[in-house]
Amino acid sequence: MPTVDPLLKAEAISKSFGSGDSLVKVFESVDLTVLPGDFVAIMGPSGCGKSTLLHLLAGLDDPDSGVVAVEGRSWQGRSLEERARMRGETIGFVFQFHHLLPELSVEENVALPLLLAGWKEERALGEARECLDRVGMMPRHSAFPRTLSGGERQRTALARAVVRKPRLLLCDEPTGSLDAAHAAEVFELLTVVARERAGAVVVVTHDRAWARRCATMLHLAAGGLNPSVEDGPPGAPYGNPGPSGSR
Amino acid sequence: MALALLAGFQGHIRERLIAETPHLTVRPEGRGEFLPADGLEEKISQLPGVLRVTPFVRGRVWVTQSSRSTPADAIGREGLSGIVMDPPLAGALALLPGVEVTLVSSRTRLSPLGPVPIVLSLPLSGIVPPVTSRRKPELELPIAEARRLMALPLDAASGYEIRMKDPRDPSRMAEEIRLCAGRGVSVSTWEDSNRPLVAALKLEKIVLFTTISLIVIVAGLNLAAITAVLAATRAGDAAVLAVLGAPPSTVGRVFLAAGVLLGLAGTAGGAVFGTTLAHVLDRFRLIPLPTRLYSIDHVPFRLEPADLAAVVVLSCVWSVLVALGPSRAVARMNTVEVLRANG
Repeated sequence: MPTVDPLLKAEAISKSFGSGDSLVKVFESVDLTVLPGDFVAIMGPSGCGKSTLLHLLAGLDDPDSGVVAVEGRSWQGRSLEERARMRGETIGFVFQFHHLLPELSVEENVALPLLLAGWKEERALGEARECLDRVGMMPRHSAFPRTLSGGERQRTALARAVVRKPRLLLCDEPTGSLDAAHAAEVFELLTVVARERAGAVVVVTHDRAWARRCATMLHLAAGGLNPSVEDGPPGAPYGNPGPSGSR
Repeated sequence: MALALLAGFQGHIRERLIAETPHLTVRPEGRGEFLPADGLEEKISQLPGVLRVTPFVRGRVWVTQSSRSTPADAIGREGLSGIVMDPPLAGALALLPGVEVTLVSSRTRLSPLGPVPIVLSLPLSGIVPPVTSRRKPELELPIAEARRLMALPLDAASGYEIRMKDPRDPSRMAEEIRLCAGRGVSVSTWEDSNRPLVAALKLEKIVLFTTISLIVIVAGLNLAAITAVLAATRAGDAAVLAVLGAPPSTVGRVFLAAGVLLGLAGTAGGAVFGTTLAHVLDRFRLIPLPTRLYSIDHVPFRLEPADLAAVVVLSCVWSVLVALGPSRAVARMNTVEVLRANG
């Protein structure tokens, strides 16, 4: 069986905040390997450090110990400029709150990562419209975020995250601000669009039902990142099943 | 606006100085007067840029009327029919136009009784205030009478007054005349003759420009505050840009551009508003002045392109400088902390 290089590898990473008496250990010795095609759900109680873990994986923050590498390249020791370039090339990010720029239209928001990467405006807008079409936002492409519903904003944010066809899509509770109906709609879109335009997906979620449908379901606690006891339900898993999934 | 106002008034004063004082004055050095045999008047007249050369005769006299008398500088010029004197001089002697005034020269003529002062009586034809302040009272009289009073030969002159076609840069022409006249001649410009006033005008401009610079700097600090607030309130958006792959330098440039654009917009708005207002106020003479008190009937505004350019450049440069701080702070922000703070 051919060996597949991991897309993302986190080894023994630990993170704490504060110092001295006020030191708070968020988690210790977290290992995570994500292969191309993986669809990983990370669950855990509030405050266990799920978002912090995503920040470390995206190279936005440094762990106290351990190493995080994307496509074999570690974040550590790189300048902020290098990290930004690497992140733009390989990672898409969906926030709990859409974080769309209010002055830009829907299509301009989606085209923003491409414009930051130096694409010509016309070409970037063309690609953005293609993405908006996939998430069903094309009819509202010229609208501004303030006129969109919560679900529409999150669909736009999803389109923005995948517009550069990232090898790794990181989602931080992407439906946390939505009602159940809109959350289901966005999750379905996420799975479809991610399969088409992203290499692998790591989702932090509280939605147990949706997490159970992912190929890999992990549980983050102070002790580290462990497979959930509910991992790998038969039926309709997203992403690589079984042994090639995340550990 | 302030510089246009100052330039308007200074321009008016300069125009009056240029109109009412000789642009250049040529005097002999080491001798009493120029004579026609010198040919200097003709030489100067032929220089390019010279409009007119007129001789004058200058000397000290006593002005007497009834039992009163006072010393004065007298200057004889062409084209006069009587005596014209300053109001202070006329006031000191209680003179009114039309009265006969007696002038007693410091020079003497030889009489059977020995040397006697040269005395001349002429009607007072006018009392005219001087353009600039003088240390001593002065009166003007016809040049022929002045020659008699000063015991000068016919056609002799104490000096020449020169009017130029373009009097804005008299120093160059003064140098040409020095070269043309050779040794024994001194040349002074209208700026030399009014040196205290010209220096005061320059100083006034420097002071006003310094004041305006301070105003621009204070306004710039306000811009810095606005940019800092903008950076603080939009830090979440900056963090999103960073997550999307924008390097810190790009994020910083976005905020620098925002600050600079604010500054440029303010500068452009101020320049257009000030220019338009100055033009309208001057064109339609909207701010009148009492002519009893001032030599001009309205407040003049004159926009000098150099003044406008200096203020605009200062404002633009300052806008960039003050926007640098907040934009650098945004570029150096901790993205994770901002993301946490913004949910």
